[in-house]
Amino acid sequence: MSQRAEDELKQKIRKGYILESPEEMTPGYRKAIIVQLTVQADTELMSAPAYWLAARHAPSTNTQVSAHAIIQDELAHANIAYRLLEDMGVSKEHLVYGREPNEFKHPYGFDQPLDNWAELVVANGFFDRAGICLLGDVHRNTSYGPLKRALIKVDMEETFHLRHGEVWMRRLARAGGAATELLQRCVDWMFPMTIEWFGLPDDLKRHSGQLDYKLKGLTNDELRQLWMSSTVPLCESLGLSVPAHYDAAAEEYVLDYPFPCEYDPEEKRWLFEDGEISWSAVFERWKGRGPMNERYVESVRRSRGAVSSWLN
Amino acid sequence: MSSERGGLAESVYEVFARKTRGEPLRHIGYIDAPGDELARVYAWKTYDEENWFEMCVVPRGAVIPVNRADGPWAANRPGGKEGGR
Ligand SMILES: [Fe+2]
Ligand SMILES: [Fe+2]
Repeated sequence: MSQRAEDELKQKIRKGYILESPEEMTPGYRKAIIVQLTVQADTELMSAPAYWLAARHAPSTNTQVSAHAIIQDELAHANIAYRLLEDMGVSKEHLVYGREPNEFKHPYGFDQPLDNWAELVVANGFFDRAGICLLGDVHRNTSYGPLKRALIKVDMEETFHLRHGEVWMRRLARAGGAATELLQRCVDWMFPMTIEWFGLPDDLKRHSGQLDYKLKGLTNDELRQLWMSSTVPLCESLGLSVPAHYDAAAEEYVLDYPFPCEYDPEEKRWLFEDGEISWSAVFERWKGRGPMNERYVESVRRSRGAVSSWLN
Repeated sequence: MSSERGGLAESVYEVFARKTRGEPLRHIGYIDAPGDELARVYAWKTYDEENWFEMCVVPRGAVIPVNRADGPWAANRPGGKEGGR
């Protein structure tokens, strides 16, 4: 289809037009929304094994049950996003079972092990909050009707995940001693991990079309600011230190470390002392995937065939 | 409308629900399932964000569009792309 068709659709969308079926999409729109939904679906899917392995460290049966409720939500979110892709002619079967583990499009943060309960609840407090920032923006702005409706459920449940994270972070912060130290260690690696998740700064970003087709409303930097505007005050109120502060004159949050910078996944430590690196070095690290990538993918695939063998 | 998946033929079910008495039944989403029984289970487990007063599932092939010729149910139009189910 022609550039003219693309421009016409963008024009209509700017005036508030909502697409209701894949037949209405131009090739450019279709390509952009497939990329967006694949990242969304893969992120939801990979959060499940990450949280599942961490839930073993739950301090009691009750708390493990609430962790498992979150995992079930994430699987439903993944299923809903893959189902939307299937309507566009993309095979869910292929996306879940047919790709190499390193071909999934989730953020690098979900390639990392969550080794204790504190890391799980900070993941809820940080990663799920990032999910709310990103998907809440999509919900408010998307020009694709079926996605807008699907996100009502997702937003509602992500808010519950975030609350779970916040309640537990508060508890661990109040406990003092070893619990608080552990919490601070989580914040130290997971704060910069989430900051990086939002991707290229606006001044470096190539134009992607996601804004023109109104698949989202906010830019990467705006989303990063939105995330910090609730995360930084939360951490400060809990007496946790974060490598960012509010600059009143500039009216924005400013990072107190070289960004982007290198990460040591074995040590779970950001190498602030080595200074700023290029974004191509970051993309290289993301492409190489993190330590848990293969294990997480294997974990979601393991039960394949179990249902059909029960039925047959 | 149905697809092969892990040795199972699955088809699409539309999910409808209402929160309370007096509220209209609303289309809340859709799922794939190999049959009516599992469709009920998958729908109940997937869309558990509310304490639904009522939920039901309808095979996608059973929804007949009245005025539109596009969208997920277009194929079910009498004389449509594939005809009815
Ligand atoms: Fe989710
Ligand atoms: Fe979540």
